Amino acid sequence: MSEKFSRRDFLKLAGMGAATTAVLTGCGPASRYVKREPYQQMPEYNYNGQSTYYATTCRECAAGCGLVIRTIQGRAIKTEGNANHPLNLGKTCARGQATLHGLYNPNRVRGPIKHARGDRLYAKANDPFNDNFDDAEPNMSWDEALQTVADALTKYKPEEIGFLMGMAPDHLFDLVTDLANATGINAPVRFGALGMFESRATLSKAAETLFGEARMPFFDVGGAQVVLSFGANFLETWLSPVSYTRGFASLRQAETKMRGKLVQFEARMSATGGKADEWVPLRPGTEALVALAIGRLASEIRGGAMPRVFSSVDPIDVASKSGVKLEALEHIAAMFANSTGALAIPGGAALGQSNGLAVAEAVLALNALADNFGKPGGVYFSPLAPSQTEYQRPASAKEMQDFVQKMKDGKFKALFIHGVNPVFELPASMDFKGALANVEQVISFATFPDETAAEADFIFPDHHGLESWGYQRVVTGSDLPVLSGAQPVVAPYYDTRAAADVLISAAQLAGGSFAQALPFKDEVEFLRGKVSALMGEANGSFSAMDAVAFMASFQQFGGWWKMSDGRTAPSAADALNQNVKGDAAEFAGEGEFFFIPFVSPTLAEAGANKPWLQELPDPTTTVMWNTWLEMNPETAHELHIEYDDVVRVVSEAGAVELPVYVYPAIRPDTVAMPFGQGHTAYGRYAEGRGVNPADLFGGHFNEAGDLAFAGMKVKIEKTGKKRPLSRLESMMGVYGVGLGEEH
Amino acid sequence: MATLNDLKISEVKLSEGEGGKWGMVIDQDICTGCQACVAACAMENNISFVGEEDSGYGRSMHWIRIERFWEGEYPEVKMTPNQPMLCQQCGSAPCEPVCPAFATVHSQAEKLNLQVYNRCVGTRYCANNCPYQVRSFNWRDYKRPEPLANQLNPDVTVRRRGVMEKCTFCIQRIHKAQDQAKAEGREVMDGEFTTACAQACPANAITFGRTDDPRSLVSQLAKRRGHGAKHLEELGTLPNVTYFKGG
Repeated sequence: MSEKFSRRDFLKLAGMGAATTAVLTGCGPASRYVKREPYQQMPEYNYNGQSTYYATTCRECAAGCGLVIRTIQGRAIKTEGNANHPLNLGKTCARGQATLHGLYNPNRVRGPIKHARGDRLYAKANDPFNDNFDDAEPNMSWDEALQTVADALTKYKPEEIGFLMGMAPDHLFDLVTDLANATGINAPVRFGALGMFESRATLSKAAETLFGEARMPFFDVGGAQVVLSFGANFLETWLSPVSYTRGFASLRQAETKMRGKLVQFEARMSATGGKADEWVPLRPGTEALVALAIGRLASEIRGGAMPRVFSSVDPIDVASKSGVKLEALEHIAAMFANSTGALAIPGGAALGQSNGLAVAEAVLALNALADNFGKPGGVYFSPLAPSQTEYQRPASAKEMQDFVQKMKDGKFKALFIHGVNPVFELPASMDFKGALANVEQVISFATFPDETAAEADFIFPDHHGLESWGYQRVVTGSDLPVLSGAQPVVAPYYDTRAAADVLISAAQLAGGSFAQALPFKDEVEFLRGKVSALMGEANGSFSAMDAVAFMASFQQFGGWWKMSDGRTAPSAADALNQNVKGDAAEFAGEGEFFFIPFVSPTLAEAGANKPWLQELPDPTTTVMWNTWLEMNPETAHELHIEYDDVVRVVSEAGAVELPVYVYPAIRPDTVAMPFGQGHTAYGRYAEGRGVNPADLFGGHFNEAGDLAFAGMKVKIEKTGKKRPLSRLESMMGVYGVGLGEEH
Repeated sequence: MATLNDLKISEVKLSEGEGGKWGMVIDQDICTGCQACVAACAMENNISFVGEEDSGYGRSMHWIRIERFWEGEYPEVKMTPNQPMLCQQCGSAPCEPVCPAFATVHSQAEKLNLQVYNRCVGTRYCANNCPYQVRSFNWRDYKRPEPLANQLNPDVTVRRRGVMEKCTFCIQRIHKAQDQAKAEGREVMDGEFTTACAQACPANAITFGRTDDPRSLVSQLAKRRGHGAKHLEELGTLPNVTYFKGG
């Protein structure tokens, strides 16, 4: 609706609106008593100026925080945290707040589309304020779309059908898993760039080696006194940032204990490192050595027999290799050894190196030394969600490479993609886009016109998260086992359809084992079945007499959780008797600079199409709307590079050009770059903005199969170009700018 | 009748700044700079985004921003505690006396610093005079491509070109809570509502409430921690936001 309406037009439209918008949202499961009304027309359940609130689950990352969305007359107005939800206790991050800019994004897929691979899904509009509807017109009916899916399911052999899904373990994953189990199609593979940067496979593999169980560890930052974080960016995007931020706040300011300390080991100061009491810029690749050296020094302070895991490391040697002074190591070791609540966390770039697994094991061994397993301020296993029997880890980058290889070998004839954008998120060197050429039929369920959707044959758009039903298991971050519930808070804006509904309907059309596998009327019936299975469980957050009431409460409270601590203590028996290889990491490539890619704390992997997220200043550099390369002032001075000079970063796998941000808190031998921008599609706010570090990643993995994204060396070449970065901070006074003493 | 000259300057100040009503306590020790407050504020208050070029010129419209500064040089470099900076709702606000249109006025009822959009003629004197640099000016009409406008909060005026704006302490939420309390025949309770920034903050670094009520959480926090600072207090602005540096 343009703003140029006359008053008469407005009145005409308002009258019409009453007729056209009062349609319930289809006869499918999305039909519920939510409709958009013109503001002057009050539906029964709404009083003038009064809001209606709906509890649901945030889909901006896989953490699964509970939201309460404020709506007025069928429009979602504001995201608020669900105060009762055990994971986030009423809080949200910036991405949760901006989820409305996804819902109301000017570039969404508006209905089922058949299109030639590579064709644009919206007209290119670089002007962020352009008011035109320029999305591709839907060109099929949903009946045709359902028939297409049914044909794809029946035309190919079951083993030729693949599902690639987002990282969240949600209802759709369960539905496709059920379908796969019953029909023999390939089990769905879950992947997300955040999981890649978090090295989730490494964390669970290290837990398996040390504790005998491949589980997701939970680090009780809040209860600790001294936290050593080896690269874990837990205040930004890591695993469950809202919950870890709450932990950090109580580390610092709990009423009942002294102010706790955070020591951060990383070559480039992250936003988390910026909050640390001590920041230790070690040489990339020496994290395992440093952890072992601290373990050895701390064991010496504590006395007794030297644990085997620390016995072979030489702190003096480590000091020279890591660039951390021996006194600093001793000081930190003393702090660690003498504290009653010592905790060590492995994460971030420290794990994304060739020796990432050794880093994780060495750091977990530090916790064994601190004897904090299953104790407040220590390491736990995250609770398994209700009705879950084992930890479901998303695919590692190595597993994704195998997946891509299967695509290249033509083993997949039909590929369904939902909730993930692999063309953008996977390393370019893996060539997911090229591998798609060997897949006969690619069907995307993308809500937004992203890079992967542009390479699909069909796009059958799912609703936005705020228009959808569902549930999601909370993987980590809460002490309680949580099944977080989702429900539509607004009627779907476009002719979209829930992917679960599409699959259920298509399975009915396909008949045979497919129809038997999904014998549901619709998505909601499937959900009800899964959710009401919890009715018999004891000690729940609510109970009900019958399934209908149970489901209603599930919606109302935003999920169901057990009221007893579901965390378990890892077995510490052998953790100190391991033999951790303490070699420094190996680096691929010719260049002279270590390269640290990190996930943008404000954009993460999928935030780039939300304009207010683009305009949030990065917490450390205050840059908005772009990508930058962080470089130490000394290095920049030596290379005669200034702020905003465009440089070419060359790795073994590729090259990108981007402006330099002279960053005072990074090692002189290291450069760093955020991940989140560099889209070639994904709507007007994302496209053509910044560069994607995934273009530089080579195919190197650590021993757990996670990508060695930080295991590279790069070359820096000057281009002679300049590209000013938009920054919130003033240049005045920074390094003498404006004072006549620039250097 | 007493004329202005009969009053001493200090008395004028005292009467203007006499006891704030609403106030905020911000704990910089636990603020992680995550920008959740900035996003929440933008969503609650219909703040326009301005695009890359204009934000590069310093025209971004954030009502709250996180300041961070650097101390020292590598490797002894430190990031100073993140400092969320927003309108301090001064008891004696420098922006108020310079407005020729009375658009920047002090609310007698709420003891807040108001911005009356339809009075504002865009002289920008107030922004010049604000020592905290927290006022933002609508240099253009920043359009919201459809259907983004559906997100607009009907409780908050949408501003157009040539108008100054700034943090209001979410006055629409204050009024809503007061209306609700009045309808139920009671006083507004502490913690019954809060500002969008405080509500979102994952670290709980921002606390909002009645500073004139010694039992409120915000007063209790200020008392308990005891070493709070007010920014540029020496200017006599009587800010209503208290910062804890921590550490």
